[in-house]
Amino acid sequence: MPKSRTMIAVLAGIAFAAFASPFSGAAQRQTIVIDPGHGGLDVGAKGKFGNLEKTITQAISQKLKALIEQNLAYRVVLTRDKDIDVSLESRAALANNNDAALFISVHTNGSFRKKARGSETFFMSLTATDEETRRLAYMENSSAKLDNRIADENRDDIRLILWDMAQSAYIKQSSRLAEEIQFELNQPPLEILNRGIKQAPFKVLTGVACPAVLVEVAFISSPEEEQNLIKDDFQMSIAQALYRGLAKFLRITSPR
Amino acid sequence: MDRKKAALIAGLTVLLAVLVFLFFHSGGRERLKESEGQGASSSEAKTPPDRATKTVRLYFPREEDGLLVPEERQIVADPSLAREAEEVLAELISGPRGDFLPSLPAETKVGRVFVLKDGTAYVDFTRDIAEKHPSGTEAEMITIFAVVNSLTVNFTSIKKVFILIDGEERETLNGHLSLDRPFLPDYSLIAKR
Repeated sequence: MPKSRTMIAVLAGIAFAAFASPFSGAAQRQTIVIDPGHGGLDVGAKGKFGNLEKTITQAISQKLKALIEQNLAYRVVLTRDKDIDVSLESRAALANNNDAALFISVHTNGSFRKKARGSETFFMSLTATDEETRRLAYMENSSAKLDNRIADENRDDIRLILWDMAQSAYIKQSSRLAEEIQFELNQPPLEILNRGIKQAPFKVLTGVACPAVLVEVAFISSPEEEQNLIKDDFQMSIAQALYRGLAKFLRITSPR
Repeated sequence: MDRKKAALIAGLTVLLAVLVFLFFHSGGRERLKESEGQGASSSEAKTPPDRATKTVRLYFPREEDGLLVPEERQIVADPSLAREAEEVLAELISGPRGDFLPSLPAETKVGRVFVLKDGTAYVDFTRDIAEKHPSGTEAEMITIFAVVNSLTVNFTSIKKVFILIDGEERETLNGHLSLDRPFLPDYSLIAKR
């Protein structure tokens, strides 16, 4: 049962985030998790000139990692540092197991439309109305009290709910992070069409127990933007914009 | 004696004639019923002229901004909500007739639709919906919400839609939106004008 093991790991991560960090936060460096979209057999979207989303997301993520390590007192973990398959659940679990302060998933967009271009930043949306109820149940129960209150036969269900809903406790902060990042993507020298911030039920964000966003930096399906995306200086400008956005978010939200 | 024999033969002949008539008559009706059943899920061309039709609204993306635009179609009315929903999805896959883009890969075929009492429609597509898909978040959102909105707009008893691929639950189409729970419609993706 690898799935339930992941969920327990996630649960442990949530419990750790909730109880351990206030006491040990000052002593150790916090972690930022960067998720280069796709990888391995999952190539992501393909450009007209044959460039693959997975290659570009990895290049941008590595540049972003270097910028953070140079300028901020944070540790950076990539969900993959080479071209391999990593499941969406493992990416979220990695963030939780590292007690991440922030999670950013880097993607390039693709469409049926030839003219589609621009950047947009997503945060999680809740899809079904009954999830609102589950979200409230999640937030009203502290994870420590949960195990005492719930009868044994229901524990697996509760783990599932926690796994499903981990991100829902951070929606507001994630929305703020999305705003800061999207604002920076719209600054010079980048001249990418601004498509704004949006919400969608992304699988990779669902289980992440910290502020989390998914950035579509530009359209690889647009020949013009594909040509930009493979340039080193364009990738660097994107990484710098992402860096400025998340640094500002951390400055605003961190108590220090 | 001869007259009795003749009457018996005549009686048997009539009985046989009645049985033969009943045999072919009832058989014919069964065939008719069967062909009606097939007619419901096939295209308009095969529709008998007396079958009632129903106007439905399908959603396709437009080139300029990717927002969904409605296009009207006729489907064959069917007492079964699920059969009508299958027709709507088959029409959606057949693509736009106006100046819009397709919502999902043309190779996709729709399987069965089941609608639960709570208003959740389970819709099954062949794997082409993922394998022939252009990939990317925008493309995934267009496909998913064209399907969901086209069902919820035409059938008030469908409240949310769970997408299956080859009869099974899949995590995502191509790595973005979660398919492991039902989607509510998102009317913000529909063009205002």
